Amino acid sequence: MDQAALHTLLLGAWTTAWISAVAVAGGVPLGLALALLREARIPVVGHIIVLYVSLGRATPLVTLVLFIFVGAPLLGIPLDRYTAAIVTLLLNTAAFNAEVWRAAIRSFPHEQVEAARAAGMTRVLIFRRIMLPQIWITSLPGLVNEMTFLIKASPAIGVIGIVDLTRVTNRISAITYEPLPPILVAAALYMVAIGTLVRLQRLLDARAQRLAM
Amino acid sequence: MNKWEILWNHREMILGGFKSTLVLFGVSAIAAFLLSSLIVLAIRTGRAPFGRVVRGVVDGMRMLPFLIYAYLLYYGLPSLGIRFDAWTAGFIALITYHAAYFAEILRGTWATLSTGQAEAARAHGFTTFMMYRRIILPQLVLRAAPVLGNQVIICLKDTAFLSIITVRELTAAASAVQSQYFIPFEAFIVAIGLYWLTSMLIEALVARLGFAAERKGLGYKLAAVRR
Amino acid sequence: MDTSSPPFAVEVRNVSKSFAGIEVLREVCLNVAHGQTVSVLGPSGSGKSTLLRCINWLEEPDSGEILIAGVRIGVRADGKTHMPDRELARMRARIGMVFQSFNLWPHLSVIENVTEAPIHVLGMAEDEAIGRAEKLLEKVGIGEKRDAYPYVLSGGQKQRVGIARALAMNPEVILFDEPTSALDPELVGEVLAAMRALAEEGMTMVVVTHEMAFAREVSDEIVFIDQGCVVERQAPEAFFDRPQTARARQFLSRYT
Repeated sequence: MDQAALHTLLLGAWTTAWISAVAVAGGVPLGLALALLREARIPVVGHIIVLYVSLGRATPLVTLVLFIFVGAPLLGIPLDRYTAAIVTLLLNTAAFNAEVWRAAIRSFPHEQVEAARAAGMTRVLIFRRIMLPQIWITSLPGLVNEMTFLIKASPAIGVIGIVDLTRVTNRISAITYEPLPPILVAAALYMVAIGTLVRLQRLLDARAQRLAM
Repeated sequence: MNKWEILWNHREMILGGFKSTLVLFGVSAIAAFLLSSLIVLAIRTGRAPFGRVVRGVVDGMRMLPFLIYAYLLYYGLPSLGIRFDAWTAGFIALITYHAAYFAEILRGTWATLSTGQAEAARAHGFTTFMMYRRIILPQLVLRAAPVLGNQVIICLKDTAFLSIITVRELTAAASAVQSQYFIPFEAFIVAIGLYWLTSMLIEALVARLGFAAERKGLGYKLAAVRR
Repeated sequence: MDTSSPPFAVEVRNVSKSFAGIEVLREVCLNVAHGQTVSVLGPSGSGKSTLLRCINWLEEPDSGEILIAGVRIGVRADGKTHMPDRELARMRARIGMVFQSFNLWPHLSVIENVTEAPIHVLGMAEDEAIGRAEKLLEKVGIGEKRDAYPYVLSGGQKQRVGIARALAMNPEVILFDEPTSALDPELVGEVLAAMRALAEEGMTMVVVTHEMAFAREVSDEIVFIDQGCVVERQAPEAFFDRPQTARARQFLSRYT
């Protein structure tokens, strides 16, 4: 594989990286918001969230990205392909993150909340100063795990024309007529990225366990 | 004619795609599970270096995106003289990829079993294979039912990636219908609905396994209470 | 009993075993005649459990031979070829074992635990296996728990299931590896009672235990092991009333 091909490949890697990063940056807080809304037990909203999470976890990313990219303009929302890809990945990852956050919130020791309330803290303050710092740590392993799934599913965005790390291999092999090298390099790059996240996840897991003691 | 009527008139395309998805998913999930059972047995009872190599391959698969693996099989291998048609590549990709995931789940679950029961099985004259089939594997499935169920749903969703390597399954069918007849919402809503229904069914099955596990004291909920 | 049967149910000849450089068994010899109950006593770490586990080849000795009813286990008659899985399994089917941690199979009910090996190892018909299992469970006194799952049983009940499970295979000898050590004191009696009944019926038994009263009343022979060696081998009264070695005396002083 020559210089030009490698350069193209790295551009594809960059595309995957920044789109995934933006989706994660939005999907993690959105997931938290959904989990909190659900725990607040507002009648209709709760059910809608359950439905959203259920659908979000059952829908293949390829189908979803096509649906959003083709369907949004018909609703009057103009969406370029990059925005469509980010929105799709974000909505998808938020559904999974909602469950991760929810588990952390549920398992949070109620005694700490009681102590804070007895000390006169408001609910917002309790959440911000007592709950969030801790559930953040216990959720991290699950959130990082979900990030690995996001990266593994991200090649779906190629189907709406984005030249990501997977689709770029088609591009390169159309010129060089040698499909194997770019595919292998792309695979290696994915493995390095995901492998790093997995190692990170294990470290975070150990940290979360210590907190649980 | 409203859009839903158009969709209804061309329902065989969507249903045909759905059938393909079900065949791909059903066969692959079952084959992957069977393959993974053997992989785990090989890892636990085989010679150490072999076990390490297999574990290395399993770990490697779990760091690969499914689509790039399918690409490797469908677009990459022909350079080495191995040519698969899209369906065969699809099956091989789904089966081997998910076998790695199932194997990791089963292996992790086995590590939590008390070693005494395998000993008791051997002491009673079970061969290693019999012991695995009658004593170990049933427990692995009961204990890991929710995680296995999740993985089966991921297998279902991965079939959609195969549309990118020209397999005509549900997403490809919905895409074809909507672009031909200009009914994007209707076509994709139905497709998404079908995926959703299928995964609900899987979760219902997993719930039943969960009940069986609870009854025997193997559920994760009961684990804390067990004497 | 036919006259051509070998004299001993279990023969242990010069068995040695080390773990991580530590010698756990040193040239141990042991013979158990048919119908005999032998109790193996000794301080913790003396190698008693390892010896027991060598008899059904759950542990592999470094040297020496073990014969079950005159046939070598673990290694074929030529002395060199290791027994393949299937042959070993067939020999183990003739030896029963009861474990300190019970080791019941949690996904099977009580009766299923007892019928599992007869059906899938001996090829017994299901009805026959169930019938026999029910009788055995009655015999050890937990017939009414037949459909329960292990997790609801007390330790003593679990162990009695373990005994029934071993009996269901119609073994020639049963090995007991500290069967009551994991039990609360008030549950020990029911298990010992079941074992006593078996001994009285003439079952060949090798028992590793700390229950001195049981060993004294039920055994035909006491084998005392310390630091991997057989230190004393005597009839029960002789051992408990007139121990011949200082180590035996030291050991017994803790129990009087």
